[in-house]
Amino acid sequence: MHSLKLTRIVKTFGQVEVLKGVDLEVETGEFVVFVGPSGCGKSTLMRIIAGLETQTSGTVEIGGRNVDATVPARRGIAMVFQSYALYPHLTVAGNMTLALKEDGVPKAEREARVEKAAGLLQLSPLLKRRPAELSGGQRQRVAIGRAIVREPTLFLFDEPLSNLDAALRVATRLEIAKLHRTLGATMIYVTHDQIEAMTLADRIVVLNGGTVQQVGRPIDLYNRPDNLFVAGFIGSPKMNFLTKRFAEEAGAATLGVRPEHLKVDPAGAWAGTVRHAEHLGSDTYLYVVLEDGQEVTVRIPEETPIAVDDAVRLSPLPGRLHRFGADGLALRAA
Amino acid sequence: MTDRPKARPRWHIAVFLAPALLVYTVIMLVPLMQTLLLALENVRDGERVFVGLDNFRMLFGDPRFSEGFWNALRNNVYFFVLHMLIQNPIGIALAALLSVPRLRGVAIYRTALFLPTILSFVIVGFLWKLLLSPLWGVAPNLLGAVGLKSLFAPWLGQEAYALTTVSLVSIWQFVGIPMMLIYAALITIPNEVIEAAECDGITGFKQFFKIKLPLILPTIGLVGVLTFVGNFNAFDLIYAMQGALAGPNFSTDILGTYLYRIFFGFQLQAGDRYMGAAVATAMFVIILLGVCFYLFVIQRRMRRYQM
Ligand SMILES: Nc1ncnc2c1ncn2[C@@H]1O[C@H](COP(=O)(O)OP(=O)(O)O)[C@@H](O)[C@H]1O
Ligand SMILES: [Mg+2]
Repeated sequence: MHSLKLTRIVKTFGQVEVLKGVDLEVETGEFVVFVGPSGCGKSTLMRIIAGLETQTSGTVEIGGRNVDATVPARRGIAMVFQSYALYPHLTVAGNMTLALKEDGVPKAEREARVEKAAGLLQLSPLLKRRPAELSGGQRQRVAIGRAIVREPTLFLFDEPLSNLDAALRVATRLEIAKLHRTLGATMIYVTHDQIEAMTLADRIVVLNGGTVQQVGRPIDLYNRPDNLFVAGFIGSPKMNFLTKRFAEEAGAATLGVRPEHLKVDPAGAWAGTVRHAEHLGSDTYLYVVLEDGQEVTVRIPEETPIAVDDAVRLSPLPGRLHRFGADGLALRAA
Repeated sequence: MTDRPKARPRWHIAVFLAPALLVYTVIMLVPLMQTLLLALENVRDGERVFVGLDNFRMLFGDPRFSEGFWNALRNNVYFFVLHMLIQNPIGIALAALLSVPRLRGVAIYRTALFLPTILSFVIVGFLWKLLLSPLWGVAPNLLGAVGLKSLFAPWLGQEAYALTTVSLVSIWQFVGIPMMLIYAALITIPNEVIEAAECDGITGFKQFFKIKLPLILPTIGLVGVLTFVGNFNAFDLIYAMQGALAGPNFSTDILGTYLYRIFFGFQLQAGDRYMGAAVATAMFVIILLGVCFYLFVIQRRMRRYQM
């Protein structure tokens, strides 16, 4: 059964068409990540699923039920907001139980659920505190706890990590992944960070300009991007795009090759000069200007003596070239 | 840890504070002190002498003064209670309505409701006097038009109704102030908190009472103390509607009008600056006590939530 089914969702704000017909099906228990650049309509789509915004056209089904006319509280969803959106005047326990009281869940049951969620998120010592007395990471966990106790069909996370510092972001990312395994719940997660998407998702939905660019498993998006946008968006450092001679020789309008799929090789076919080198310890990134002036990034998984202004020859790994037509779509059969 | 350089005298602080301090002293502190001192003096045998608390003994105990004073104080308390029970709840309700998302014409409603506040009390007083006049006012006819003419009475002229009527006019005039303050507080509540409440099934009235009201309580407290100070300093509207005698038979007399008659005199009554100063001091103390009660009892118990 589908947990969520979106059919031709269109949303316009005045004259601006923000979502241009989004179709999507999410299986029960799946972790789906919406990823795309800022302003591409991720939050809008999420808010339409939650019922906080009404779509201009199209239908939303949750758990096999059409919810177009259902208020957010009755849709079986729970949302975690980017700003946490905790109730400032209620304690942690109060924040978690407000919705349950509203639903008429008996006291004993409420306490059991809060206890369970608090145990899962290490919130037990904090239950009597108010949001102002918590750190950012703790507030985030409370927001997640508030979602868990409602036992929803569908969890919605809108950029839940973007207000946290880098170290905490990695830690919380792991917690969310663990939580997904523990609860086995269906989760939809919005982010603009492709690393979060790659690490968390069962399936990624890449959005750009209000349309779905590609849907697939992280590794499939990495290996077989459907178009230039997905190719450039997924993977870090970004995929190199070459045109002119290099592309023509391969019979494409644009030739893509990832930095990690280029090798420094004295017998390589591509000659160039190192313009800049970044030494990260585990990796070295070389920025190489090729003979005809096009620039590529090369990722070497170790330290290297190669320095700026050195002449190098490069060769792409076989079978790792991506060919794109003039319309930006991948050319597959070849 | 490094040693901090030794603190030098920071004269610039005194320099920056001086202008404000000077102005405040000249226009606030000196007159206040003079009034307080004046309240401790009186004329005996044509000489101005220090009489200690004699003026206050007279004000609270001598029927010539105390009857009027206690009457004014009682009326003033009633005036204040009506504002707290009617003006502020209406202000809160209007603010809640104005902050409904996607409400059309918010700016028009807001301006219209706030407009009376910026009108002169002379205009407001005169306007309502005319509206309610049994001879040429529109009130009897309007009530007649809906078949309620029997309800009409010359409210401003009856001892039993006059104070309530004047209070309601004052409420009509000033309801815009609590409305604006609370509206400003309501729109600072983050949208996402309201949306989280929607997702949790807390909507409509319940959302107002369970989420918004607790978050704006500090502002409501502030509105309460502002109402208190405003009401116990009130004078102008009553003077414009009912005159300095605050008729009928002193039934609309409040501390402001009472002070006016004692200090400046009115008709056959001669002005008495010493007793006037005593009344002014009593008012000052009443307001001070009220504000202290707010600052030290109410505000301490109220939490201000970081949003
Ligand atoms: N309430 C609104 N009114 C008008 N435009 C909006 C509204 N909400 C979002 N938008 C526009 O819709 C686009 C997508 O917004 P959003 O879904 O928030 O993007 P993101 O992918 O960064 O979450 C943006 O261009 C934004 O300006
Ligand atoms: Mg967003």
